[in-house]
Amino acid sequence: MNLSLLTLELGVIGLALALLLIDLWTPPALTGRLGLAAAIGLLLILALSWNMSGGPPVVGCGGMFARDGLALFFKRLFLAVGVLVVLMGVEYRERLALGFGEFNVILLIALAGMMFAASANDFVLLFVAMELMSVSFYVLVSFQRSRLPSLEAGVKYLILSALAAAFLVFGIALIFGVGNTTNFAALNAEGVRLAQDKLYWLGLLMVLLGLAFKIAAFPLQMWAPDVYQGAPTPVTALLAIGSKAAGFVLLLRVLFVAAPVLAAHWSKLLMLASAVTILYGNLCAIPQRNLKRLLGYSSIANAGYLLLGVAAVNASGAAAVLYYLAGYLFTLAAAFLVICVVMRDNEDIGALAGLSRRSPLLAGALALAMVSLAGVPPLAGFLGKFLLFRALIERGAAESPESFRSYWLAGVAVIGVVISLYYYFAVIRVMYWAKDPPDLSPIIVPARVQIPLAVCLVAMIYLGVMPGAVLAGATEAVKALKF
Amino acid sequence: MNAVSLQEYLVVSALLFCLGLLGVIVRRNILVIYMSLELMLNAANLALAAFSRFNNNLNGQVLVFFIIAVAASEVAVGLALIVALYRRRQTTHVEDLATLRL
Repeated sequence: MNLSLLTLELGVIGLALALLLIDLWTPPALTGRLGLAAAIGLLLILALSWNMSGGPPVVGCGGMFARDGLALFFKRLFLAVGVLVVLMGVEYRERLALGFGEFNVILLIALAGMMFAASANDFVLLFVAMELMSVSFYVLVSFQRSRLPSLEAGVKYLILSALAAAFLVFGIALIFGVGNTTNFAALNAEGVRLAQDKLYWLGLLMVLLGLAFKIAAFPLQMWAPDVYQGAPTPVTALLAIGSKAAGFVLLLRVLFVAAPVLAAHWSKLLMLASAVTILYGNLCAIPQRNLKRLLGYSSIANAGYLLLGVAAVNASGAAAVLYYLAGYLFTLAAAFLVICVVMRDNEDIGALAGLSRRSPLLAGALALAMVSLAGVPPLAGFLGKFLLFRALIERGAAESPESFRSYWLAGVAVIGVVISLYYYFAVIRVMYWAKDPPDLSPIIVPARVQIPLAVCLVAMIYLGVMPGAVLAGATEAVKALKF
Repeated sequence: MNAVSLQEYLVVSALLFCLGLLGVIVRRNILVIYMSLELMLNAANLALAAFSRFNNNLNGQVLVFFIIAVAASEVAVGLALIVALYRRRQTTHVEDLATLRL
């Protein structure tokens, strides 16, 4: 047992426990400070993570826990999400009725679950990390106990997440039965022998189903819009960014560390899931009037785009997934920060009318986020999609000349992007060109929102214009995977 | 020695899993759905214990303990959530959960 491997996770858990204790002696008027303290603590842990970079990959804790470039990349991603979401929570504080201290603590525990997931090198750790996330999210989603939509979203998330967990566990049982181990590296070592057993295929398929729930991909995507709409906005942000990224790191690890032999066979299956997910998300988003629900469908579509990179089964595809997730983080965080400030009791898109005159900063930020989600250059969303498509085309070129599967899928994805332009630009139109906005009172944006918002905007543009550093990091990180 | 073979354990476990899945799909009461979900988890536990016994590998049984512990915490949170919903709506039927619609 090498505890120094777990420094970052222990740091987050320690921070959570410290906040839980300090909350006892903090008068209610000052609890907002606790949120700021949590954000500063997470920033310190994020800074510490650069101290740990470099060095060869290490596997510890009985082969369960891997510390490599991939894990570190995702841990930084999760910590960055954590900082932004905690700050969002401070802004959202009054609407949480009670228990703001506990809200932060559970948020940090969910974050620790995601960080453990990033390092999972064994199906046992994969399961425990996923459940640590899920159980925390049950509480977080239904945190506004007096608000019916929040409770309903919580119950829906609970039932479907437990269903996904049941599939995951049964899949793990089958894998253990055939392979006599749950360790990723040990399973990979016997990959060729195991691939002859259909029970092993079934087991992995069930594990992938369980993961499809986390990333909100077909066929377990139907929870996303309901839960995104009902959950408190900071929780929606964490679900949309953190939970999805955690699902993808687990998917990459399962496919390309534990079962690279099967991953190539399943490219077709992943492509199908990706195409259906993209079309479903984009088509269902068109008639939506509730902005959070719209982002729920958009998140399904984005899961589809990200699956393109996984289905490409090559290093550039995996690196594109990492890069896309980094861009997606700042884009969505900016959107949810604006939603947090502007949409206090009405989440209808119509409530954004006249936002350009009420607060140019917020309107500009949301507009940039929508433009980036729609994939317009030069923002992060464009380059991310471009890299995903390029990886897919590379895959198509590597396949036999008669197979046009990859090109068909790329075509479907482009159609999806074109459809998405419609509903993303509808949001921008309401903000800038709505007729007779009912409310033109200026919105005062506090500094604790301005700063993270500015960081998100700068990161969105920086990632789009100068992708070099992050892309190099992503390419380095996916060296932990085998194709 | 072994009166019951691995196949038979696995068949029972698969049956339990399918019964649980059927319950989740068919039943309309949230509490019953939740019970069915637990049945699915226990089907996996049975499979793990059987594999563990026949492979002579205790790791499977350790994993069963993990699953039991996680399922217990899930039930604690889940039942609290269902009780909170019942207090608001006086119902535990899924059809009544229709606030979140287009």
